[in-house]
Amino acid sequence: MFFRKKKEQQIETAIQQRSTDQSYWANVKRQFRKNRVAVWSLRVFYVILFIAVFADFLSNERPLVCKLDGNLMFPVLKQYAVSAGLSSWNEKFVTTPWHEHQYDFAIWPPIPYSSTTIDKKNRNFTSPFDRQEVKSGRWHHLLGTDELGRDVAAGMIHGTRIAISVGVIAMTIASVIGILLGSLAGYFGDNNLQMSRIRLVLNLLGLALGIFYAFVARGYALGAGAEESGFMWQLLISFGIFTGIMVAANLLASVLKKVPGLSSRVNIAADILVMRLIEVFNSIPGLLLILSIVALTKPSIMNVMIIIGFISWTSIARFIRAELLRIRNLEYIEAAQAMGFGEARIIFRHAIPNALTPVLITIAFGIASAILTEAFLSFLGIGVAAEEVTWGSLLNLARTKFQAWWLAIFPGTAIFITVTIFNLIGEGLTDALDPRLKQ
Amino acid sequence: MFKYIVQRLIIFLPTLLVVSLVAFSLSKLAPGDPVELLLKGQAGESGQKASVQAYEEVARRLGLDLPVFYGALSTAAYPDTLYKIVKKAERENLDKLISQYGNWPQISGYYLTLKQLEAGTQNIVADSVSYLAKNTISRQVKELLLNHKDAKIAYALTEIQKIMPDSGAIITLAPLIEQLNANYQKIKTEASPQKNYIPSIKWYGFKNQYHRWITNFFKGNFGYSYLDSRPVGSKMWDALRWTLIINFISIILAYIIAIPIGVSTAIKKDTPYDRIVTTLLFILYSLPSFWIGTLLIVFFTTSEYSPFLDWFPTGGVTDLPESTPFFTRAIDIMHHLILPVFCVTYGSFAFISRQMRGGMLTVVRQDYIRTAKAKGLEEKSIIWKHAFRNSLFPIITLFAYIFPAAIAGSVTIEVIYSIPGMGKLAVDSIVARDWPVVFTILMFAAILTMIGNLVADLLYALADPRVSYSKK
Repeated sequence: MFFRKKKEQQIETAIQQRSTDQSYWANVKRQFRKNRVAVWSLRVFYVILFIAVFADFLSNERPLVCKLDGNLMFPVLKQYAVSAGLSSWNEKFVTTPWHEHQYDFAIWPPIPYSSTTIDKKNRNFTSPFDRQEVKSGRWHHLLGTDELGRDVAAGMIHGTRIAISVGVIAMTIASVIGILLGSLAGYFGDNNLQMSRIRLVLNLLGLALGIFYAFVARGYALGAGAEESGFMWQLLISFGIFTGIMVAANLLASVLKKVPGLSSRVNIAADILVMRLIEVFNSIPGLLLILSIVALTKPSIMNVMIIIGFISWTSIARFIRAELLRIRNLEYIEAAQAMGFGEARIIFRHAIPNALTPVLITIAFGIASAILTEAFLSFLGIGVAAEEVTWGSLLNLARTKFQAWWLAIFPGTAIFITVTIFNLIGEGLTDALDPRLKQ
Repeated sequence: MFKYIVQRLIIFLPTLLVVSLVAFSLSKLAPGDPVELLLKGQAGESGQKASVQAYEEVARRLGLDLPVFYGALSTAAYPDTLYKIVKKAERENLDKLISQYGNWPQISGYYLTLKQLEAGTQNIVADSVSYLAKNTISRQVKELLLNHKDAKIAYALTEIQKIMPDSGAIITLAPLIEQLNANYQKIKTEASPQKNYIPSIKWYGFKNQYHRWITNFFKGNFGYSYLDSRPVGSKMWDALRWTLIINFISIILAYIIAIPIGVSTAIKKDTPYDRIVTTLLFILYSLPSFWIGTLLIVFFTTSEYSPFLDWFPTGGVTDLPESTPFFTRAIDIMHHLILPVFCVTYGSFAFISRQMRGGMLTVVRQDYIRTAKAKGLEEKSIIWKHAFRNSLFPIITLFAYIFPAAIAGSVTIEVIYSIPGMGKLAVDSIVARDWPVVFTILMFAAILTMIGNLVADLLYALADPRVSYSKK
């Protein structure tokens, strides 16, 4: 993941040099389908996605369906209702572990343990091939257990869900930032973003006032005052205030623009600004930056995802920029401008949709690298809550007990396969996008 | 060319400035009071509580009695001298009081009385009557210094009122306590929260923490570790040595192996040899190094699985003391470094091979190679004399990218094999919340990366003059 930058540059140049092919979505698809490895990777990806989405049904300490005291129940489904606060468990399920009830009949998930279930009888690293103290073969810990007696297979399935959500959430954040800034830089370039002088002044003023009223003056409400009403809610209010002030500044600018003398236009070098920002982000070694930011926040997997997202938007921005530099000179954009469409409409409705395919490449590579980063963070035990089971944390357990080979092999293989799959999909897309790059 | 270099350098400076701002603001966001962390590190296990004087002295030495930045955007209620209160927790508490009531004169009056009371309580020689009262008052004063919520303050104030005896040495404090109550009432009655909504810009000048930090940084003074009060610089140089050794060996190895493999696969393009090697390289490139590191350390460093597999020591750099003869010690260190160097090398080796192959293939397609072939030159001389040389340049510039990447990348391996290098130092400092070390390393890594990028760009421009012309 450390060498991505060089690779990105190559793809970026390739995008810029590409001829203007109109029906190119179809072309890309056709090229992608030709690539057997990439197609197979996509299939494996569907399997991984399936495991991630249906993790609760594949490994759970609760039965899928059971009949207890004459009542038919669906505990796994009910779990969702309970965690949403719509329902609550019967007293007996809280006090007695799920496995110890006398069911009339019960259908268990393929792996009848949750990642957090502690099997006291099989503590201290029970190997998959050891004799395990279980009721029957059905309850065998297929991939062994860890020190506390948690099932490794269940941990792997739960880890799949975490890995996929890290990839998806981090890349969603990165895409939003990257696409916005990249299209700004690419569409307007250095010479085409102009605004009236008064609008520029008012926007800068609005920015300062917005920051002041939304964040400085509300510092207390966001910090100590947030204990009662919740931080996210206060943050939302702050963002509301900020947006309000910016909108007001722009409305005022539209009015004042008509005053002669205030309407002279100034040029804003959008491209230079965005490229400098990207350079700053690329100058700081990502892993170290993530490590030091993560260490400042409360340990939570969600924070890790958000931070990875906020740091890895740069390559997406560069791709979109390169793509829009090309698209903005195409005739249909000129036509749209001639028809008097607003800039925003042209960018979002006409330009960006045609620029998204190459972004898929970075998203694929980006997911791979986000998963790797998260695995590494939980491997180090930084930023992830101690009780959270992920591939990285399982692999880390192998370092505490060298005998437990199953902890060294299975989670690592899962990380390797997932990362490779996304890298292969990324490579496949790169080839499909520009067959010349295939060497 | 010259113009390009100058342009590139001009871009370098603002980026450095922004990076330094990022590192500095992160260090300011770090939880915990730096002075207390440092004092705790000094006191060590004894756990002695540091005196007020010691606290203030350390704070002054760290420059914490200065304003944070050149200027600030704050509210009109916020005094421009609040930074002079060096105790972080107390300052933050006053900040919250200001946000609630917005009247600094009254709040500062309350705070000063509180401090007087704190000092007064400490100076009282407790007799039998005052003993309990003294303890309660000093406890509640501490609470008051750290609380901003009305209910909690009111509670502490009544507790103090209740415990006051009618006689004894402590009675001298009674007027102070009365004044404290009065001052707190004043804060509430004369509140001016509207002041919190008037913006004000303050200018502090060059005597500020950031300025001090960045000038010290470029003078080579990086501050002191919270853990053992050692200068961060000396800690870092010790660590850098190991990181440099490992990375130099591994980069040189990677180049030595990668270049022939890259060239040979390019020549034999589309043969089974090429396909197999390329696939292997891709797999190698995708293998996460922290997994391979863990696997190797699990299987090859103990006799857990088979007595024949205990090939390498488990971790560290050497088991021998400094006094052993140089040669024996060097051999031992090399024995220790084989696995880590392998783990650092294989990824960059695979990457360089792939790049080399790509570069070679682009060159082989060029017209002048076809001309050389048409001239009837020998295959070998075409490849090594004409093609290889030209495809080598991008690989050399890669070095500038690889080096900073390797420094950051060896974090993994250093942690797994407990090598006391930069990466392990960074992770250990993060876990121990030793922020000066963390942010100095972050800053250093950033500067190295920037220099690497700069050198790479310049080398590139040197190799390919089109680069400097095309960038207007």
